[in-house]
Parts: sequence; structure tokens; C-alpha cells
Amino acid sequence: MWKDKYSIGIELIDEQHKELFKRVSDFLRTVESKDNWEDKLEKVKETMAFMQEYVIVHFDDEEAYQEQIGYPEIENHKIAHLKFKDGINDYVRIFEEEGFNEEKIQEFGGKLMAWLIMHVGKMDQMIGEYAKSKGGEA
Amino acid sequence: MKAEYINSFYKATKEVFKLMVGIDPQKKDLRVIEDMVSSKDASVVLGVTGDLRGTILFGFPKDMTLEMIRIMSGMEMDRIDSFASSALGEVANIISGNAMTLLAQNNYACDIVPPQIFIGEYKSFTMAGERALQLILTTPIGEFDINISLKEKQV
Repeated sequence: MWKDKYSIGIELIDEQHKELFKRVSDFLRTVESKDNWEDKLEKVKETMAFMQEYVIVHFDDEEAYQEQIGYPEIENHKIAHLKFKDGINDYVRIFEEEGFNEEKIQEFGGKLMAWLIMHVGKMDQMIGEYAKSKGGEA
Repeated sequence: MKAEYINSFYKATKEVFKLMVGIDPQKKDLRVIEDMVSSKDASVVLGVTGDLRGTILFGFPKDMTLEMIRIMSGMEMDRIDSFASSALGEVANIISGNAMTLLAQNNYACDIVPPQIFIGEYKSFTMAGERALQLILTTPIGEFDINISLKEKQV
């Protein structure tokens, strides 16, 4: 799933992005595999727990970096992070209330993939461009 | 219907496609249609509210949908399941959201209603007496269309 064009040129953030893409990709492969549902369910639960936690860690780190370089779009970026977290939490709630059903999990997987590509491929690129323009690491 | 409605969707589609699937769709045709019907394998329908009101319908063939999913996820698939249809719906949702941002620059404040996705269902979304514009786009992985029926709110 990861493509080099998603790199923003800031090592810490790129490494975290790669980890996120890897986890989402593993998750999608599990969800889409022909394995029986009981076996898949463990991996699905594990990924949900990981995503909830890692996304917060990553967004915090990314926001701290934006602050450090005086990134002017930081407030908009924080809003985008909030929406992303809300999107995940909506599904966490659905799974808590309705249990894990295969169709909902596939639906979540489709959205998660699109959100991740769009966020990293577009919004995060602008951080890299700004850092570069300021003679930073990128 | 004004050209800027169409242009907003065209620009947003090109940008999102380039970013998400690495493809730059080209305009093939633009025509007036009497009926807005989902005639392709996969359809995404979104409502628009605010200064402009109406419906947007994206129609994608099956092979193109699966190729888009392959490019994004790295997974080969042979049918459009809930994962693929959800991802496709989200791509159309992101395009429409970006089109709304472009329309806002032309002083139209609009919102979109979350997408509905229909796989292999052929339905009509025409509002009585309303014509729509159909924008046909070509790409190396197939041809798709965006049907736009928008009306300015009566003041």
C-alpha cells in the first residue's frame, strides 16, 4: 500500500506513516482473506486497538513537529486529525454496540484506506514542503 | 446549470484521482441528459444542500473500480465487495468535498450528504422535470461518468 511518493522527507513522520500503512495493509489483507471469520476476528480486534492508540501517538508527534517548525496551517491540520480520529471512533462505537460484523468491518477498511491515503498524500505533504522552504530536514 | 458547477467537479476529480490512483482523467464529453440513472456497475450518489441543491451521481464500471482498488490497496480482487464499494464511495465523497471547497470560492456555500453506494443496481435519481449534465471522463483504466443536477436555492 505504501508508495514512495507519500514520503514527506521528515524521518520520524515518514517512519510512523510507513508503520500506519503497513498495519492498515495487513488489516485489509486479513479482512479480505478467505480465512474463516473466527480467525480473522482476532486480527481485526487487535488492529482496532492498535489504530486507536497509534493514531493518537502519531498525530501528537506530528502536531508537535508542526509547532516546532512554526507551521502556519497547524490549526487546520489539527481539525483534520480530529476528524480522522472521529471517523475511527464512530466505527469503534458501532462495533461496541453492534458487535463485529464482516460487512461493517469491510466498510470501515475501505474508508480507513481512503482517509489514510488522502491525509498522508495531500495534507501531510504540505508540512514537508513548508519544512523544506524553511531549510529544514526535508 | 452553470459551467462553474461542472468545472469544480472536474478539477476536484482530476486532483483526487492524481493523488489517490496516480491517474489524470480527461474530459471526453459533456452532455445534457433527461434522466439521471445509475447504469454502470458501481454508482455513488451524493446529495448537495445549501446554496445549491441537488444530486451528484458517479458511475464506474466494475473493471475500473477493481483496478482503482488494486492501485490503492495493492490487492487483486475479482468482485466489488463491501470493502471495495466503501473505498469507492469514499473517493467520490472526497472528490465532492473538494468540489464544495472550490464552489465556496465562487461564493456558493454547500454541504454534501454522505454517499450511498449501489452495486449492480440500476435506479433513477431524476427529480421531476430536472435535467442533469453528464461529464464523461476517460482514463487508461476505463471510462466513468459524473452526473450533476444542481439548482440554486430560491431566495
